[in-house]
Amino acid sequence: MTRKFGCIATFVAILAFGHQQQKETPPAGGPPRPFHLAKTDDFTLPNGMRVTLVPYGVIPHVSVRAFVDAGGVNELANQVWLSRLTALLMKEGTESRSAEQIADAAADAGGRLEIDAGVEETGIGGVVLSDRAAAFIALVADVLQRPLLPASQVERLKSDLQRELAIAKTQPDMVARERFLRTIYPDSPYGRLFPAESELKGYSAGDVAAFYKNNFGAARTHLYVAGKLDGGLRAVIQSAFGEWQAGPAPVKMSAHPVAAHSFAMIDRPGAAQSTLYMGLPVADPTSPDYIPLDVMNALLGGSFASRITSNIREQKGYTYSPRSLIATDHHLAYWAEIADVTTSVTGPSLKEIFYEVDRLRKDPPSDSELKGIQNYLAGLFILRNTMSPDALIQQLRFVDSQGMSRAFLTDYVQKVIAVKPQDIQRVAEAYIVPSKMTIVVAGDRAKIADQVKPYETAAP
Amino acid sequence: MTLKVRTLACAAIGFAIALVHAQTGNPENFRVPVVYYKLPNGLRVVLSPDHTAPTVVTALYYRIGFRVEPKDRTGFAHLFEHMMFQGSRNLGKMEFIKLVQQNGGMLNGSTRFDFTNYFEVLPSNKLETALWAEADRMKGLAITDENLKNQQGVVGNEVKVAVLNRPYGGFPWLYMPQYANTNWYNAHNFYGDLKDIQAATLEDVQKFFKTYYAPNNAALAVVGDFEPEAAKAIVEKYFAQIPKSDLPPQPDLTEPRQETEITATRKDALANRPGLAFGYHMPARNTPEYFAMGLLDQMLVQGDDSLLYEEVVKKRGYAGEISGGINVDLGNMFDYNGPMLWTAYLIHDPNVTDAQIMGAVDDVMDRLQATPVDRSLLDRNITKMRAGLYDEMTQLGGFGRANLLDCFALFDDDPAKINALDMNFGSVTPELIEQTARDYLRKTNRTVLMVEPGAPQSAKPASAGAGR
Repeated sequence: MTRKFGCIATFVAILAFGHQQQKETPPAGGPPRPFHLAKTDDFTLPNGMRVTLVPYGVIPHVSVRAFVDAGGVNELANQVWLSRLTALLMKEGTESRSAEQIADAAADAGGRLEIDAGVEETGIGGVVLSDRAAAFIALVADVLQRPLLPASQVERLKSDLQRELAIAKTQPDMVARERFLRTIYPDSPYGRLFPAESELKGYSAGDVAAFYKNNFGAARTHLYVAGKLDGGLRAVIQSAFGEWQAGPAPVKMSAHPVAAHSFAMIDRPGAAQSTLYMGLPVADPTSPDYIPLDVMNALLGGSFASRITSNIREQKGYTYSPRSLIATDHHLAYWAEIADVTTSVTGPSLKEIFYEVDRLRKDPPSDSELKGIQNYLAGLFILRNTMSPDALIQQLRFVDSQGMSRAFLTDYVQKVIAVKPQDIQRVAEAYIVPSKMTIVVAGDRAKIADQVKPYETAAP
Repeated sequence: MTLKVRTLACAAIGFAIALVHAQTGNPENFRVPVVYYKLPNGLRVVLSPDHTAPTVVTALYYRIGFRVEPKDRTGFAHLFEHMMFQGSRNLGKMEFIKLVQQNGGMLNGSTRFDFTNYFEVLPSNKLETALWAEADRMKGLAITDENLKNQQGVVGNEVKVAVLNRPYGGFPWLYMPQYANTNWYNAHNFYGDLKDIQAATLEDVQKFFKTYYAPNNAALAVVGDFEPEAAKAIVEKYFAQIPKSDLPPQPDLTEPRQETEITATRKDALANRPGLAFGYHMPARNTPEYFAMGLLDQMLVQGDDSLLYEEVVKKRGYAGEISGGINVDLGNMFDYNGPMLWTAYLIHDPNVTDAQIMGAVDDVMDRLQATPVDRSLLDRNITKMRAGLYDEMTQLGGFGRANLLDCFALFDDDPAKINALDMNFGSVTPELIEQTARDYLRKTNRTVLMVEPGAPQSAKPASAGAGR
């Protein structure tokens, strides 16, 4: 330690240890204990509803989550967030329960009923005590099958959504993301993060009822129950959902993301930081390149010790929470680097990010750097599949919503370990192409316009 | 997953509570295994095995939080937390992070009112690796000026991203304590003035480390897949030789009893809707009233069944949601040790006045103070408590459990308390709820903080005035 810094730093002050000494090697620990993915019990009801039960853990609680293929992709272009309004209205009463009774029933089970719609699906459920799970499943079934969707609550919920929209538009991360998605997914539900205020105002109870009728039903639903399960839940589920109509068949939307250079500045006068959102479409989870991309991402910017984070945070101090990610939807994915950087170093931050991208596209990482990332992802995989009942469900849902085999999970670690240094360089070169990136900067235009000029046109 | 040395702002995990025997009876209350002992140098050690998954959590808590930091160095406790990742005797800059990551784990640290924590979640065969590394940095830091300058930049950016460059930044978690409290230790800007953060020196870092980072000022919890005897041997091997230090006496943290309602307004140039928060001083920890306040929090603001949600959101439509809690956004009702607030907050449209909203709040509070709540309402909220604790204990593969065990060891010298919580909450009666509401949810114990869209006139909250 002392030697290392003694050689490279101009001023070195050592705390607590003034003497040079031999470094100890960290103990390696014992052999790994065996890890097995939790076994699932999967079945399909006669009406087409899929069910996955995952007995897991010793803490007496369970997560109950139903996913319905009903979301932004099922809206018309001028109906953005109609799926969200529908989700909110579903909590407002069923044929046999008032909104208050729904809330009380969820609380009596130890949880709360959460419903929201995303671009592809509506999720409904919660985490409750094991010995109250049957009652909560019946509640979820009631809300899914027999919602009143009362017109009396529409105006209130619409004004809540309008407020949410107005607030979202003041948040730098939200506006940057919105612009990014709109650019890479033009004329697509995947690119419509915000509705127009005027269209949101126009939604009626009739619109909601039609959206519900056209998009909800057993054939579009997959229910997951994970945690310490009491016996008899299969019968509970059969009884609660058995009478539900199959309803509409699932519809998958295809999208054609744009991979072309573009640059957008969102002016935020006086902003202390510039919010960067930059990236492009990459191979989706069904591609053989997806796992190499996943490993590449962790090495490039997707982990604390990654190259971009080491550079712009731990060496330069430009930012607090830079990160890269691969965001996925159904047979869709994009890679992005996201960072809030101090205004005065906006240009230098972009320069360093591209420097790290270029470096990885040119040269494969060393064996040891790659090995470190592979170990990280292998360990993280255990955590992701054991951390909590919700974490377990999230893993299964990812695979199922892509229409992939669950072998994706059982083979994941092996495939991560099989990635070679040249694979990393190959996927970086093939996919993380600077000249095809969409770059969004939300910041103080007057202070950063000159700094970002070099990035307004495509890199040569 | 991205793993930042995340701190203050995002550190708060939802809330969490207690194992309770509700009147309905619960056949399977979960008992947390607790092995507790101290090393001769004073280090408090809590072991809680759970073989559900081959993972292990190590969580080292130092009893120094942002409440007690040098008065001319606001934000220093948090800046110091960052320095603990910058190099120790055997691990250079980035080496600690890489060691954990390359062994398949995640790590983080955070700074709270009364402690600073450092934790790792790893495959269970790496327990010894994690404990060796934590012991290494307890033995001493090796930090350069360059590292300090780098982290001053990082922390400055953290304050910007969490507070200065976002609407409602710091609302209400950072600001409410500054208005509601009068004792500097409870009322200063604990994220720190950027000038103070920049002014910190290596000498400050060294002094702070020497003063507070000692085994007799720390608790170590290990939760997960391990055998206690093996873990004890590893703890002994790496920590037993670290010398204890002379700890300074704790300063007086007490707050005087509040007798007049406080109101304050802050301008927020980035916000486009008004915000409103109201906070009340809590009863002292571990008193019957404290447990009653835990249940009042559940009753008032946790869930769609809660009284304020029903009144303010659903019935009157003043807001889309109302949030709140004890130690709000910085922890839960167990992980602090000093004066504390229960706070609730919302964002509303400009056509609704603060007086209208507070009128609705008063209606709810008046009901609670006028008559004992129904037993069924109390039982429902005891159930919510118990379920909340189970959720908390599963956070991050058992880190939530380690958090409670460490705090009960550090603050109460009794981590087994985790298994007494059901009795504590189960003993609360409707009459005690009523009495606690009268004593603590009174207007004269309240601070109301409003956020108005618009350019700020003064960045300092010193203009807080009393009465209205």
